Amino acid sequence: MSTTEPDYSLRRRLVSRTTILLMVVLLMLSFGVWHYARQAADYSYDRLLNSASLSIMEGVLVRNGEPDLDLPYAAMEMMQLAPSDKVFYQVTHQAGVLITGYPDLPRPPGFTPSEKPHFYNARYKGEALRLVMQSKRLTEAGASGWVHVTLAHTRNARQELLADILYKALLTLIGVMLLALVIVWLGINRALQPLSLISRTLQLRTPADTSQLSATPIQEVAPLVEAINSYQQQLLHNLDTMKIFIADASHQIRTALSATQAQLDIAAQVADPVTLPHRLGKIRQEHLRLSRLTNQLLAHAMVVHRGDTQQLDSIDIDVLLKQILTECVRDHAHSDIEFGYHCRCKNSVAPADGVSLREAIRNLLDNAVRYGPSNNQITLGLEPAPTAGLDIIVDDSGPGIPPHLRRQALQRFSRLSSTNEGSGLGLAIVEAVTQAHRGELFIESSPSGGLRIRLRLPGQFT
Amino acid sequence: MRTALLGLASLVLLATALLGARQFNNTGLESARAQSEEQSLLIYSATDRTAIAPLLDAFQRLYPAVTLHYREFNTMELDQKMRQLSNYETPDLVISSAMDLQVRLVNDGFAQAFEDPVLNELPDWANWRNEAFGFSYEPIVFVYNKAAFNGRDLPRTHEALATALRSDGLFFQHRVGSYDVRTSGVGYLVASQDEVTSSISGRLQESLGRAFTQVYCCTAQILDAISSGELVLGYNMLGSYALARAYADPRLGVIVPHDYALVVSRVAFIPKQAPNPAGAKTLLRYMLSLEGQQVIGQQGELVAIHPQATGPYSVSALQQQQTIHQQSLNFHPIALGPALMVYLDQSKRRRFVNEWQNALLYDPIIP
Repeated sequence: MSTTEPDYSLRRRLVSRTTILLMVVLLMLSFGVWHYARQAADYSYDRLLNSASLSIMEGVLVRNGEPDLDLPYAAMEMMQLAPSDKVFYQVTHQAGVLITGYPDLPRPPGFTPSEKPHFYNARYKGEALRLVMQSKRLTEAGASGWVHVTLAHTRNARQELLADILYKALLTLIGVMLLALVIVWLGINRALQPLSLISRTLQLRTPADTSQLSATPIQEVAPLVEAINSYQQQLLHNLDTMKIFIADASHQIRTALSATQAQLDIAAQVADPVTLPHRLGKIRQEHLRLSRLTNQLLAHAMVVHRGDTQQLDSIDIDVLLKQILTECVRDHAHSDIEFGYHCRCKNSVAPADGVSLREAIRNLLDNAVRYGPSNNQITLGLEPAPTAGLDIIVDDSGPGIPPHLRRQALQRFSRLSSTNEGSGLGLAIVEAVTQAHRGELFIESSPSGGLRIRLRLPGQFT
Repeated sequence: MRTALLGLASLVLLATALLGARQFNNTGLESARAQSEEQSLLIYSATDRTAIAPLLDAFQRLYPAVTLHYREFNTMELDQKMRQLSNYETPDLVISSAMDLQVRLVNDGFAQAFEDPVLNELPDWANWRNEAFGFSYEPIVFVYNKAAFNGRDLPRTHEALATALRSDGLFFQHRVGSYDVRTSGVGYLVASQDEVTSSISGRLQESLGRAFTQVYCCTAQILDAISSGELVLGYNMLGSYALARAYADPRLGVIVPHDYALVVSRVAFIPKQAPNPAGAKTLLRYMLSLEGQQVIGQQGELVAIHPQATGPYSVSALQQQQTIHQQSLNFHPIALGPALMVYLDQSKRRRFVNEWQNALLYDPIIP
C-alpha cells in the first residue's frame, strides 16, 4: 500500500472533524446566548427601572403653582430589587430646571419629550449607568409644561443576571455537545463495524479458502464486498490461466525434449555412419524447435508481464516499423523473399510499449516467413484506422488461414497443421501485446490471397 | 549563656505573638505588617468617643504599632466634610450612625469595596455593596423614669403609648421628650422610618403633639431630663446609650417596644482615597470579627451585631431582659440601601419636617 498521504485513522478523523464542527456550533450558539442573555437582563431590569420611574412620576404634584415631588418610598424600595446597585434620580421641570435629585445626571442625547419612556446608557461618577427618562405634560394652570423624571442605576444586577443566564445556558449547551459527541462516537463505531468485520473475515482466511465474502444488506458496504469478491474472482481466474499455461508449457517442452532425446538415442544406435548426418539434421531441427519454443515462451511471459506493469509511452510507430523491417530484411538477405513497406498516415505517434510491440511485429514477420512460400512477398503497412488509432498491417502471399480456423489460430499452443515446426505461441504473443495496448487484432485475407494480420492500436489520430 | 537564653525567650515570644495575630486575622501578612511598621489611621466619626473607645482601645492593644487619630463630628457635619475633602487630609475610615447619609455617600462613589470572609457573619441588611457595613445593633426604645411610672402600666407597644398619651394627657403633658428631627440626624432617620414601618405613626405623632412633647438635639440631654424627673418618658431613644445609662442609673428604665423595634446600626466605610486602606481594612475586619464584637458586647455603649457575641450589650441580653410573658421581640433593622436616600431628598425632607412640625410642635395659640 503506497500512498502519498500519511496514514490516518478514519475514526479519529471523523471524531476530530465532528468535534471541530461542534465547537464552531458551540461558539456561534454561545454568542447567540450571550446576546439573548444581555437582552433578557436589560429587558427585565428596564421594566424595573420603568415601573420605579413611573412610581416617582406619581409623586409629582403641583404646589403653589410650582411642580414639586413627594418621592415615593416604594419607588426606591422597588429599586432595591437590584440589591447592590447604586441609584440616581433627577426630576426637572421644563427645559432642565431642577426640582430635586442629582443635578448633573447625564441627559439623553437628542432627546425630544414624549409620553414614552426613553432608555439610554451613560457614565456618571465613574460608573456605567442604565437610565430611563420618563416625561409627563402637566396641565395645571400656572404649572403647565413637561416634567421629566430621570432614574438610573448601575449595571451590577444586569451583569449578574446575564452571567447567570449565560452560565446555565452554556452548561446546558456543553452538556448537549458532549452528548452529541458521544452519540457521534457510537455512530462512527457502528458505521465502521462492517469494515472491521470484513477485514477480520479476510484475515482469518487460509490461502486455500476460495469462498466468496457473504453478501451484506448494508447498501454502502455492498459495493466494497462486491469489489473484493470480483477482485478475488479475477485473481483466481488468472491463477487458473497461469496453471494451464504452465501445464501446457511444460507439456510442450517435455514433448520437444523427449523428441530430441529419441533422435539422439536413434543416432547413438545407428551403425551406418552414412545415415549419421541425416540423423544429426533431425536432431538439429528438434533442437531448433526447442530453442524457438523456449524463446517464444520467454517472449510471451515477458510480453504478458510488461502488459501488466508497463506504462505506455508515445512512440513513433513509423520509425519502429522501419527499424524492425530493416533487421528482418538483413536476416533474410540470402532468401528470395521480398519485403515491402508503406505508410499512409501523417502522424504516426501513438501510446505504445516499444519492446513488446517490437516483439509482436517480429513474430508476425517470422510467421509470414515461416508459413509462406520461398518467394514470399511480405508487406508491412501503417494506416490510420477508420475511426481513431493506427492499423499495423502485415500481408504475405502464403496460404492464409481459412476463416473457420482464425479463432483457433489465436490460442496458445495451437498449430493449425501438424507438419510445420511452429511453437503455437506467435499469434498468442501478438494477441497479448494487442490486449496490453487495448487494441484489436484482425485476421483477414491479403490482396494477394495470402494472410493479412491487422493490429489496431487505439488513439486519437487523424 | 544568659543573653543566649534571653534571646531564645524573646524569639519564642515573638513567634507566639505572630501566631496569635495570625489567629485573629485571616491574612497574616497584613497583621505582620501592621506589627512591624509604624502606621497611622485617621478615623472620622459621628459617634461619642466614649462609646467607641473600648473597641478602639482593644484594637490598639492588638496592634500597638498603629496610631489611631480620631476626629469627632456630628452626622451632618461629617457628611458635609466628606463632600469637601481636601487632598491633605483624607480619613481611612468613616463611621456614623446616620445610616441614610452614609448610604448616600457610598451611592455617590465615596467608598471603596472591602471583601473578606468576616462579612459572612454579617446580616445582609448591614452590608451594602461590600462598601458600607453596619457594625452595631442599636434598637430604638422608650426610656422612662421608674419612680414616675410607679404603679402605672408601662406602654410596651407604640399603640399602647398612643393610647396612654391620649387617655392620660395630664400625666404626660410637657413630660415626654424626643429628638428634634430638624437637628438630630438619628432622630430624623428614626422618625422617617417610623412612617415607613408603622401605620399608626401619624396618630402617634399627633398624640405626642397633644402631650406637648419636648424636643432635643441629643440623647444625653433627654436622658438627663428623665433621670431628674423633669421628663417621665423618652420616645424613640437610641437603645445603646439608654442601656448604658440604665445600667448605671437605677432611676431609668428601658422598654423595647413589642410590636416593633427599629434597629439602627453604625455604618463604617473606607473612603476611596484612603491613604492607608490596608490598615483601614485591618481595623474594619477587627470591628466586625467576633473578637471585636465581643468587646462591644462586654463593654458597651454600642450593642454588638454579631449573633454569637455575648455580654450585657448583646442581642441575646436584650432578648432576656425584655421578654415578658414569653412574647419575643420584633426587631426591625433598618436595611442599608438606596431606599434610605428617599427621606434625604430635599423636597421630601421639607415636606416631612413640615408635617412633623405641624403634628408635634402643637402651637397652643392656634386652637
